[in-house]
Formats: sequence, structure tokens, C-alpha cells
Amino acid sequence: MLSKLMVFIAYYLNASDSYKKAKTFFYDLLDNPHSRKKRIFDAAMIVLIVTSILLLIYDVEHESSLLGGYFESAILLVFVLEYLLRGWIYSDSYKIVIEEYERALYLNIGFKIATVLKRVIRKDLEYFGSYFAIIDLLALLPSYRSVSILRIFIIFRLFKLFRYSTSAKLFADVLASKRFELLTLLVLTCFMVFIASISIYLFEYKIESSNIWNLFDAFYWTVVTLATVGYGDITPQTTGGRWVAIFLILVSLGLLSFFTSILIAAFGEKMLSMRESRTYEELDRYASFIIICGFGRVGKEIARHLQRERQKFVVIDKAERNILLAKQLGYLAIQNDASKNEVLINAGICRKASDILCITGDDVINVYITLTSRHLNKNIRIISRANRHENVNKLYQAGADNVILPFEVAGMLAAEFLGQPVAFEAISGILQEQRDIAMETVLVSENSPLDNRQIGQLDLWQRKLTLLGVISDNTVHLKHKNKYKVKHRHFYFNPAQHFVLRAGDMLVILGRKYGIEHFRSQMEQPRLLGKAKT
Amino acid sequence: MKNIAVFGYNRLSFEAINRIDPENHIIKVYDYKSTNIDLALEKGINAAMIEFRSDDDLKAIGIGSSVDTLFCCLDEDSENVFLTLSARALDKNLQIIAIIENPEAAEKLLAAGANKIIDPYQICGRRIHDMLKRPDITDLFDHTVFGRNDLNLAEVMVPENSFLQDVYVSQLELSTHYNLILVGIINKQISDQMHFVAEEVDRKLNPGDILVILGPSREIRAFKKDVNDEFCNI
Repeated sequence: MLSKLMVFIAYYLNASDSYKKAKTFFYDLLDNPHSRKKRIFDAAMIVLIVTSILLLIYDVEHESSLLGGYFESAILLVFVLEYLLRGWIYSDSYKIVIEEYERALYLNIGFKIATVLKRVIRKDLEYFGSYFAIIDLLALLPSYRSVSILRIFIIFRLFKLFRYSTSAKLFADVLASKRFELLTLLVLTCFMVFIASISIYLFEYKIESSNIWNLFDAFYWTVVTLATVGYGDITPQTTGGRWVAIFLILVSLGLLSFFTSILIAAFGEKMLSMRESRTYEELDRYASFIIICGFGRVGKEIARHLQRERQKFVVIDKAERNILLAKQLGYLAIQNDASKNEVLINAGICRKASDILCITGDDVINVYITLTSRHLNKNIRIISRANRHENVNKLYQAGADNVILPFEVAGMLAAEFLGQPVAFEAISGILQEQRDIAMETVLVSENSPLDNRQIGQLDLWQRKLTLLGVISDNTVHLKHKNKYKVKHRHFYFNPAQHFVLRAGDMLVILGRKYGIEHFRSQMEQPRLLGKAKT
Repeated sequence: MKNIAVFGYNRLSFEAINRIDPENHIIKVYDYKSTNIDLALEKGINAAMIEFRSDDDLKAIGIGSSVDTLFCCLDEDSENVFLTLSARALDKNLQIIAIIENPEAAEKLLAAGANKIIDPYQICGRRIHDMLKRPDITDLFDHTVFGRNDLNLAEVMVPENSFLQDVYVSQLELSTHYNLILVGIINKQISDQMHFVAEEVDRKLNPGDILVILGPSREIRAFKKDVNDEFCNI
């Protein structure tokens, strides 16, 4: 009966949308490193903890105030709730129940409630035994103010801060990464302290002016000396004791420098990934951005243009020199291998990246990055650079949307320039928007004044605009002359006066920027107003 | 017929030569490396060996006389600078276009007398940026004007006594008569700069003006023929 109820609840929870929504909400709030909610929650918790610590410190010297008591209770409530919620989101117990139940059904054996409970409890214990969960629990203790010894657990409340601050967490990570070296050092230090304490105790015990009356005094002197503090309240008087002091001082210098060097090395190693994670955090804040793989001459040129237009982008390159340069220019940059899945995922290829440019000088790498990117994200736009003709098709096969050959492009422009220098200058001027003349597309949206209108009725000449043509994938237009295939669509050059525009068509217009803008807004306005009315 | 001398045979100059209309241009490739010359000849390109450091050799191939345009496409920036300097000294009016490898070389080449600098990496960067910003327009140009499709830009000069003389731009109506679009006009008397039709007030055409038109090559040829035909009137 009980087991039936349990299975029923498990299936109910599995099907319940609101349960899942609630769980996702709390996951975003407490644990999801990419969520905004967590950032706000962390900041709020830091403020709470600091306030509670200040209150507890105030209470050490003053009478406990009533208001302080209420506040402490409120904080306690928040902490307890947080503790329990974290336990809740840590595992999905109902999934374990379902899994066990289905297994039992499949194997045609009895569904044993005990095994399920054992698994669920084991999973829960895994959480309650984790480092942070223990700190969370201990941090609750100082709230019990009537027992003043529990105040010492304020320290754990301070430790709790680690949870909410990434830099503090990073410090812990750095120490953890050098666990072996630090442990070796600790053993060595303990050994030294032991020898020195015993020796000084043997030499100086009960000597009037040296102040060593027991083994603890000897230990205290050793630590004070080893740490190069040397208060001077205990000083060795015998020759033997002084030799011990000399020996200890020399050793302590070595131990301290060993300790410092371990820390520096650990931070040095961690620095790269630290910087990287900062970059990832920064990227997470953008609504959309472009990933540039390869920061050579081409990459620099693109970055310069994007920066000028305040477009967000990130540079990924293996070479330290290029990354250094990118950083000097104030760009976001990651020094890593862009062909690795992990690097691209961290950079946000599956989340907010809108385009990726594979433009290193090596075609092999470009193909590989293109393939990786397409594999990770089906919809992202990939523009790749091919340095050799024969690799163009390979890049398209790998999933690139556009492939560009630097030498071909340059050769093409050179040819245009050799043929028609003035006309070419003018066109490249428009394309690069050097003057206020621009070539732009105006979309014919449904129910706009352009929809179902003949070209002849647009009086573009009056508006000082030149219509070059219409881009469309509408098959209605196929009967017209002068069509050129442009990818999956057609470009209708110089369309006749009776050409009827359809929704989805794009007019290619040459004219002054504000002229085009004015035309576009006039064509869009009635439609938007109409929408507002309905 | 325009006479173009291309110095240096490589991927870039090959692409450029391939795209120049052979009917209106005489193209010859020169290089000082025999391997490059062999490669060019293999592809059926008119090529010859030359020592570009010698002024006499340059004169012998027509620089200072028959060559209208010089395309410096040698591998080293220093070589291109040297060639530009030599050629400019021989001919003040020669049109010189040069390729650069290192961006620092641009100023040096301009100082040496080049008319136009082409930086392949810069162009490629701009192009990718264009693709990001205006994919439709970039695609359109890649497939038509710059691509293999037959849609070209052309410059047509208004000769003396043609039917174009004293015609207002608004009366021209090239789009109905010829299936051509008039993009801009260069008024040679004022400057070499092109004025877009779209931004201009209506004006009369004078002999010597250059019309910049866009359209299929057949239409361009027909238009050029009519323009140069004194008796044609439409």
C-alpha cells in the first residue's frame, strides 16, 4: 500500500509542470551559475550574513536587544530554508523511485521500498555530508544566543560567504589544486615544530629567565619563532637553546619561502582560467555577440569595425601574442584552442552567440572549427575563411554559411578597379559607408503600403531614391525578366513599372541614408498603427 | 583598348586577370621568377620574364608609352615600392595599383606614387564584416557585380554631338530604353568624384561627362554603340 502511494506520488511529480517549474526556479536562484537570479540572491545573502555577523559582534559587549533577536530569527529562518531547498534541488528522489519501480517491473521482481529508501537516503546524505552543507549547518549555530560558546561558530558564517563570492571560491580552488604540495609542507613543518619544541624544552626547562615552564611554552616559542614573528617574551638562555633558535630560524626561512612559492605558482597556473571565467561572465551579460576565431590581420580588421559599431564580440586565439594584442585594444579575448568543444561551449556558442567567424590562416583548423560549431549549434551563422581554392567546398560541407577567399576577394576588387576605377571607387564607397549614400534593403511586410503595390506607383524618383532591384523567393515573380539567382532567392534587376510587390520581397535601394530611413518608416508606420488599433 | 601590365604572378593576380574583360583590355604578366612564368603560361596567360629593377627593361615593355595601367603584385612590399618608384619616374600619368602585405607599406607606396593600394587582409576583413552587417546586399553583390552573373558596372563617356548632349538626367530613362540603371555621373570639368543620381538635382549632360551605369553587358554594349553613333536618336 505504502509502496503504491510512493510510486503514485513519484509519477504525479514526474508529470507535474508546476513542480518542475518550482524546482527550476529554485535551481536558477541557488545553483545555476548562468542565471541572473542567482547573482541577485548571492548579493542579498552576502549583505544578510555581514549584517548578522555585525549584530553578533555587537552582542558580545552589549545587552542583547529585542530587535536584534527578531532579526537573528529572520536570518535563521532564511538560512534554514536555504539549507533545506538546497537539499531538495540536489537530487530528484522521485526519479529514483520511478527508476527502481520500472526496474522491478522489467525484471518481474517485487518492488522493495527499503532499497528505494536506502538509495534516496544515501543520495541525501551525500548532500548533507558535502563540505558546503556542513558549513551551512554550523553557520546556523551562533543564532542560539543563550549559549555564548556557540558564538565561535560565527567563523562558519564567515566561511559561508565563500559560497556566494566567486573570487573567494577561486582562492579555495587554488589551495585545493596544490593539496599535495601543501600537505608535504605541513608534514615537514609539523616535524620541525616537534623537534624544535622538544629540543628547546630539554635545554631551557625551568631556567629562570627563559620563561619555559612546560611543553606548551616550548611549542608556543617554536611557532612564534618559526613564523618569524618573535615576540621576545620567551628567549633561550643556554647555548644549546640558542643553537636550536639559530637552526629553527634558518629552517623557517626555507619553509616560508617554500610556502609562498607554492601559492604563487598555484595562482600563476590558475590565473589563465581565472581570466577566462571573467570573460565568460562578461559574455553572459550580453544579449548577443559574435565569436571571432583567429586574431590575425583579417580578425583585427573585423574587430576594429565591430568595435566601432559597438557590436559585442569575443576573440579566441591560441597564440599568446595575438591575445595580448587583443586585450591591449580592449577586446574580450580568450587564449585557447577554438577547435575544442568545451572552449566554444563556454564561450556561449549554444546560448547567446549569433555568428561565428572561422578565420585563422590555416584551412585545416578552419574546417575543424566550422565542423565543431555546426555540430554544437544548428542555427548559428558560420562564416569561414579559405586560403586555398580547393578547400571552399570542404568548408561548405563542414557547415559554413559563407566562405570567403582573401585572395579571390582582393583579386576581384583589383579587377574591378583596373576596369572601371571611378565607378568601382564609388561602389566600394557605398559598401563601406564612407559617404552618406547607402545601399540598403527595405522589406515589404504584410499589409504595409508596399504590399501588392506596383513599382510604378512608388514615385521613388520624387523621393530621390534609385531602385536597383527586388530580392525575392516568391515564385509569382519568376515570369519577369532580368532575374539573377542569389543563393536560394532571385534578384530581379531593374523591375518593370508593373512589377507587383508581395510580402517578403526586399527592395534594394540606393540613396541618402536618411532618405531611405524616411521611406522605410513611412512604409512601416501605417502598418504598426493599424496593428495597435486592432 | 586599355593596356595593363601585371607584375608578379600569384594567386591574387591570377584572380584579378581572370576577371578582367579580355575584349577591352590587353593584359600581359611579367615576373622575374621563371617558375611563375611557367605557371602562367600553363594557364594560357600571356607572360614574359623581366628584370624589373632595370629602367630600360621597363621602357622596353611600354611603360612610359603604351602601358596605361600598372598592377604591382610582386611578393615583397619592397619590390612593389621599387617598381612603383621606377614606373612613376617614367610616366607621370600612369595608373598604378599596388598590393601590400604589411599595412605599414601603404604609406610608402602612396609616397612612391601609387594611385591605389589594395590590402587583401583588410579587404577580406571588411567583407566579412559586411556579411555580418548586411548579408542581403553582400550576397547580391557577390553573385552579380563581383560574381559570375552577367551584371556589370560600366563607365560611359558622353561624346561630342551625341544624342545625350543637353539631355536632362531625368529625361534619360535608361531603365525603360535599355534595361540599365544610371547610378551616378562624373562631371570631369569639376572633379573626378562621382555624384549619385539619387542625390543630385536634375541637370543637363555635357560632353565629357561620364555616366556610371549598371546592367547586363549586352545592354551596356548596345548603349555604348548608340552613344557613339552620331545619328542615333531615341
